[in-house]
Amino acid sequence: MWNLVVILQSALSGLLLGGVFALLGVGFSLSWGVMKVINISHAAFGILAAYIAYWGLTLYGWDPMLSLLVSIPLLFFSGLVLHRFLIQKVTRAREIVVASMILTFGLAIVLENAMLFAWAPDERLITTAYSSRALFLGEVILKVSNLIGFGLSMAGIGGIYFFLYHTHTGKAVRATWQDPEGAALQGIPLNRVSMIAFGLAIASAGAGGVAMAYMYSFNPPAHNHWLIFLFLVVIVGGVGSVIGTAVAGLMIGLITGLSGAFLPFQWINVFLFGLLMVILLIKPEGLFRK
Amino acid sequence: MKRSTEGFWTLVVIVALSWIQAGTALAAEKPILIGGSLPLTGTFSATGKWVEKGYQFWAEEVNGKGGILGRPVKLIIYDDKSDAKEAVNLIEKAITVDKVDLLLGGYPGTACTAVMPVAEKYKMVYVSMGGHMKSFSQGYTYSFGSPPLMGEWWYLGFFQWMKTVPADQRPKRAAIFTMNNPIGVSLMDSVYKGCKDLGIEILIDEKYNLPLTTADAMIAKAKQMKTDLLFANGMFPDGVMTLRACKSLDYNPKAILQGIGSVIPEWTRELGKDGDYVFSGTSWHYKLKYPGNDKIVKVARERFKEEEPPLYFGFGYAWMQTLQQAVEGAKSLDQTKLRDWLRKNEVKTIAGNFQFDEKGLPKPFVYLTQVIRGTVELIWPPEMRSHEPVYPKPPWK
Amino acid sequence: MAKTTKLSLIGLVFLLALFPLFQPPIHSLSFLFLVFLYIILAESWNLIGGFGGYLSFGHVAFFGIGTYTSALLFQKLGLSPFVGAFPAGMMAAAVAAVIGYPCLRLRGPYFAVVTLCFAFIMDLIVKNWWFLGGSEGIHLKLVEMEIRLSRSIFYEIYLGLAAVTVIFVRWVEHSKMGLGLSAIREDEEVAQTLCIPTARLKLQAFVLSAFFPGVAGGLYAYYISYVHPDVVFDISVSILIVLMALFGGGTSWAGPLVGAALLSIINELLSTYIKPEIARMIYGAMFVAVILFMPDGIVAFVKRKRGYA
Repeated sequence: MWNLVVILQSALSGLLLGGVFALLGVGFSLSWGVMKVINISHAAFGILAAYIAYWGLTLYGWDPMLSLLVSIPLLFFSGLVLHRFLIQKVTRAREIVVASMILTFGLAIVLENAMLFAWAPDERLITTAYSSRALFLGEVILKVSNLIGFGLSMAGIGGIYFFLYHTHTGKAVRATWQDPEGAALQGIPLNRVSMIAFGLAIASAGAGGVAMAYMYSFNPPAHNHWLIFLFLVVIVGGVGSVIGTAVAGLMIGLITGLSGAFLPFQWINVFLFGLLMVILLIKPEGLFRK
Repeated sequence: MKRSTEGFWTLVVIVALSWIQAGTALAAEKPILIGGSLPLTGTFSATGKWVEKGYQFWAEEVNGKGGILGRPVKLIIYDDKSDAKEAVNLIEKAITVDKVDLLLGGYPGTACTAVMPVAEKYKMVYVSMGGHMKSFSQGYTYSFGSPPLMGEWWYLGFFQWMKTVPADQRPKRAAIFTMNNPIGVSLMDSVYKGCKDLGIEILIDEKYNLPLTTADAMIAKAKQMKTDLLFANGMFPDGVMTLRACKSLDYNPKAILQGIGSVIPEWTRELGKDGDYVFSGTSWHYKLKYPGNDKIVKVARERFKEEEPPLYFGFGYAWMQTLQQAVEGAKSLDQTKLRDWLRKNEVKTIAGNFQFDEKGLPKPFVYLTQVIRGTVELIWPPEMRSHEPVYPKPPWK
Repeated sequence: MAKTTKLSLIGLVFLLALFPLFQPPIHSLSFLFLVFLYIILAESWNLIGGFGGYLSFGHVAFFGIGTYTSALLFQKLGLSPFVGAFPAGMMAAAVAAVIGYPCLRLRGPYFAVVTLCFAFIMDLIVKNWWFLGGSEGIHLKLVEMEIRLSRSIFYEIYLGLAAVTVIFVRWVEHSKMGLGLSAIREDEEVAQTLCIPTARLKLQAFVLSAFFPGVAGGLYAYYISYVHPDVVFDISVSILIVLMALFGGGTSWAGPLVGAALLSIINELLSTYIKPEIARMIYGAMFVAVILFMPDGIVAFVKRKRGYA
């Protein structure tokens, strides 16, 4: 049995990590729940934002948070364009979910290899002056970079929540999701609302990507690894639920961290995926779906 | 009648002569085809691309000097998209469609291990990094590791060097974290033997699956159990996480050994000072005093702007050197002759002079490297030492 | 099916069977071998995926289970994989029965994710268990035959298996089972009210869809001689199978065949003639283009153009 410090350390580190998964997952959950689009390219946009942060840092000395001023609008706009010109076209298909998956799968490959072509497969790290500094909570250590990633994630999730529940457009998005016909009858322009929601989702992917980059090295193919955790978080939290995704992210982070303290490491992933399977079989709507 | 017969036969002779002449002219120009696949896209492309560069540099150099046996060489490198099934498919394409004269080695070990039986079936020499000891123990006669990447030998240099350190200064308790794949499993071999030899107690011995999400729990445990020797048997992404966790958790073992991450330029470039003092093994180092390494360094600096030539750039070059010497030595492209020549003769590459055993392996290497102030230095064997080792590891600032 | 289509397909199979006799480059045999493999995988997947509407994203697991079963039978008992492929298929079917029972109660994307999890877990279990070879994989003895002969034999076997799978799937499509499955796909609740035994049909389809990949896997172990989780539990194969079937069109027996063949050939052409990253970008763009213009798959598009319903 490990002592309290190790357990606390593992739990806290895991929690911080989970917050980042949550931010990355929120947009994914949103586009799935609201627009029935399973966006396989979601994590790839995250990587794009990570690269923007990287080049900003190494070429111009910008702090990665500053790079968000560039990547968030850029990705939001990309989301709008993608939705208008690609996604809207597949809503004609009999199976939107399937068609959107194939579409975004192709998109993910294009994006990944475009980045590969432009920036080579070399591994990248975001290392700022404060990257390896840490705060001490007794004997437990919290890395500054993880704290920043976590802070960014909470801010991002909070922002999205605020948007959905306290702005006119946001409420329109939720109405569209809950009852498309009713919303249309109310005069809500479905296409425009979906477009904005999608843009938001992609923008949040960008923020999530930067948060991930604070913790992990990355290169173009890395989005494939991130995708797995996206699915995990979104399913556990309930598709479309912001709070659900946030809590699920934290939980999964916590479980990942804690299981590291108690289980042999090689069984952690088996445990996680097994847990996911069990949750799916018992309560597939996720823990928080209304 | 007689005149036309004469005329006819003259015609025949002239046609025959010009045909033969054209044939030889063609043969003089006909390049030696060297083919295979590498991961140029996908998860392993970071390293695959360096192998490609190593091959291409070698080909350029060789062609500049008139080729091999008077013929230029031409590389046919397919992209196997980091998929071993594709690698198997593409090597067959190279052999049966492109009809290549020689095979080039792939990456990573899983792909090489899958290709080795194919090369064996087609009776073609296959020079590559191999897939650790198991892949060389299947009785394949056409596969050669020149040099191989042998996890089983990786830390031999460390333990040999450690024997020269006074016993009271040696580490006593080890924590071992190994990635769960063929490389990782093969690394553990030399760790167990070495620790046993030196009486180092193994307190933690765990495997983890890639991709690693967090190293914090691992390092917290290592610190809590007061281990003073850390084996981080992983690749680059998990190696980075492990190092950073060591720093932020302020875990200061006497020495940190890292598997495969510290041999790529990104280690020093991206980690900076944090990556210092990490030990590792290697099968080649550009500071080795074998001829040709100075050229490699020059090309890496001038063409690729890399201060230190990446490991796989050197590997690619060395594998090609081996093929070249085999062809020039056997004076033939017949694969069985090449194989027999390699069995009997010593090959001189930038990675060393190799004499192969019946497995296709040279004698085990015992190199030890340490990253010191941003440069990968050679610590062992002593005659190759390029810098004094820094031991024990200075505490994190 | 129109008589002409039937005849041309039979003719095609016949020609393909004779192909090895023309001594083509061995690589063509290996390439077509892989095409046949994807046809087997995509077609059998379609039973549960395209017909039933239950997108299994973990189907590669059944291929892997088949590979490992026959590899272990060969390694430990000396049973030739040519024979071992059958128990391999049964093993995959058995696992499908066990897994399918709880999982098929899930709908839509949840079923997709749970099957994906299943594939990941299988991969991890094999890597963590020494008995199954762990993360080092299993090395099998090489096939003791001259290479052209062995490649030709594998080619013919896979051609046969592919033909059998396609015929079987076509038969299912037009059978009561197929009708039941499409009713489930259209609207499962309505199907239930019509007294269609949905649970039984789904499970049957799932088990059948696992059997053929299991057999194919059993043979593949011998073909490749080195069995490793990264190779046979490769998630990207799982995803590719789904895409191939849906690319061609999931509601018809011909869809996966067209999808698997087309995608494999295009992939090969791209890798041969174009720079790697660009080739991959074109490959990705192709998915985007096809789904934009033919959202229900190629076969459905062609049928519509021709004036069929």
